[in-house]
Amino acid sequence: MELKLYKREVLGLVGESGCGKSVTALTTIGLLPENAYVLDGDVLFKGENLLEKSKEEMRILRAKEFATVFQDPMTFLNPVLTMETQLEEVFMLDIKALSQAVIKQKSLGKNIGYSDFLSLKESGRSSASDTKVSKAEIRKIAKELYIDVLRVVKLPDPERILHQYPFELSGGMRQRCMIAMALARRPSVFLADEITTALDVTIQAKILHLMRELRDVIDASTLMITHDLAVAAEIADRIAVMYGGNTVEVASTREIFKASLHPYTKMLMRAIPNVANPVDRLESIPGTVPEMINPPTGCRFHPRCPSAMGKCSTEAPKLKEVVKNHEVACYLY
Amino acid sequence: MRSLATYTEVNAEMEDILIVKDLAKWFPIKSGIIQRTIGYVKAVDGISFNISKGETFGLVGESGSGKTSAARSILRLIEPTGGEVFFDGVNVTTARKRELRKLRRRMQIIFQDPYASLDPRQTVNSMLIEAMKVHQIVSNRSEAHERALELLMKVGLSEEHLYRFPHEFSGGQRQRIAVARALTVNPDFLILDEPTSFLDVSVQAAVLNLLKDLQKELNLTYLFITHNLAVVHHMSDMVGVMYLGKLVEVADKNAIYNSPRHPYTFHLMAAIPVPDPEIQKEEVLLMGDVPSPVNIPSGCRFHPRCPYSTDRCKREEPALTKTKGNWVACHYDIDFQIGETRS
Repeated sequence: MELKLYKREVLGLVGESGCGKSVTALTTIGLLPENAYVLDGDVLFKGENLLEKSKEEMRILRAKEFATVFQDPMTFLNPVLTMETQLEEVFMLDIKALSQAVIKQKSLGKNIGYSDFLSLKESGRSSASDTKVSKAEIRKIAKELYIDVLRVVKLPDPERILHQYPFELSGGMRQRCMIAMALARRPSVFLADEITTALDVTIQAKILHLMRELRDVIDASTLMITHDLAVAAEIADRIAVMYGGNTVEVASTREIFKASLHPYTKMLMRAIPNVANPVDRLESIPGTVPEMINPPTGCRFHPRCPSAMGKCSTEAPKLKEVVKNHEVACYLY
Repeated sequence: MRSLATYTEVNAEMEDILIVKDLAKWFPIKSGIIQRTIGYVKAVDGISFNISKGETFGLVGESGSGKTSAARSILRLIEPTGGEVFFDGVNVTTARKRELRKLRRRMQIIFQDPYASLDPRQTVNSMLIEAMKVHQIVSNRSEAHERALELLMKVGLSEEHLYRFPHEFSGGQRQRIAVARALTVNPDFLILDEPTSFLDVSVQAAVLNLLKDLQKELNLTYLFITHNLAVVHHMSDMVGVMYLGKLVEVADKNAIYNSPRHPYTFHLMAAIPVPDPEIQKEEVLLMGDVPSPVNIPSGCRFHPRCPYSTDRCKREEPALTKTKGNWVACHYDIDFQIGETRS
């Protein structure tokens, strides 16, 4: 498995269930379950190997640099806390930046918003201030920030939502709250794991629209994990296709859809019905997704591949750049 | 309600195998110690449509729009609150037990989750044979066995699969078994309730192809229910769009997708993500969320989210009427164009 996420890009990680998309994301941020361990390889983040970090170091790093939004917001929001308490938890981690905000607000004499807060966080980390700020003042400004960040994710009536519990919100609203909480940290990497899968199409369209808008606000690299090629086509700059735990193809979204090289990607394209380009018969991929307990030897796609040759069943092909900025793991190239 | 009947009358033709007339299903909400009914969830609130023999009618809508309740009421797996269903001229809604059993032999349903719909303690063989026994399709064991094998081959599985249990199969194979089981009784009509939404895309294509092949071979009529608009477009001849328990538009699939006439249909179609980065879609986003079917808005149920709504929409409920080829439930005649440009 190989993947590069560039600064400020949206990378779509596409694959079927059980191909290891989510495990990839969890490994990156060191959140694998107890019974899993990393066999080999590195996760490099800004030049540092994350796998060598201690649990505590990773915890701090996760808080500072990574934000994750998962498929089902109900399992990640605390059902017995109001949204205000949950947002508070995230914002209060930056108590320094919050007190800075109070000082700035006093000197400016006007309310500061979420985007001002972000820039304060950037600069405020180093410069400590002598002025004492009371807790009540911090609370007050924090509340304004919650409301503002909920506005950033386009939630109607944010004042009311602060007092509501997750079960009182709809699926789309919960997902927006999750995104709002992720934004609070100003992450460098935004991991979005199937964030629209549980939503209806009209709500999905709105969340995708929001994600596109937020790209400029959050200034982060996004790893958008999805099983839906159409969703990836709508939002990603580049797409990485995974199959059976390996990256089989990485290229720009346009290249993937117009000139895909790997047999799996090609077949996958023809297997999905497309409203804009209807066909009478879909092409299906023979066989089923491999069991990861006993994956096929060599190239993991070879039992289902029409162009498989002798070498494919014994030796796994490596990802290599075939065309400029277009990597494929296949012996055909 | 009158207008809905009109739809059925206008379209009633001899080859219609299924006629649904004002079908309604309300679920009571009970509360308190004596379990008094305090309100209703109007899951299906008066829908009418016909399906011609050999055709596929696609029923689409977002979660909670009443698609599945409608399907189950048609088969009387749940008792409908109102309305009538005619299958091949026989009134399903008033049929008695024995009649119903006869009808069920001709109408079958395939459920969404093949992990839940197959009995984990029965082999494929006994599952298939049980269905034949219940409906007295076969006279003896060897005939039953032969038929089970034949059905299994028909859905793309082989003899070796006959004595296995459901847990030994993948999702796609399980759905094939569910199809084989539905076919044991030689049905004319199949309700497919989200048959591929549990499957991976690479497997989904194979199941959709199988369903298309079987339809041609056995001259089956399908009611295809899904929230996946691309799949329904691929499978259907006619498409009905449901919103909060009502049909808001019924038309030929190409008309629905290319020239929708109801604002909801238009927004729904515009929201479909297209697997082609070269197509630049015009962004049309819908306000708000689907309201709860307990508190249905007055007048046109779509009016709180509709960008074109007027006072009239708040007061009067529009009837399903024919406008330019589509059956639409809207007071206004608006021309929509799905804005797509190739870059």
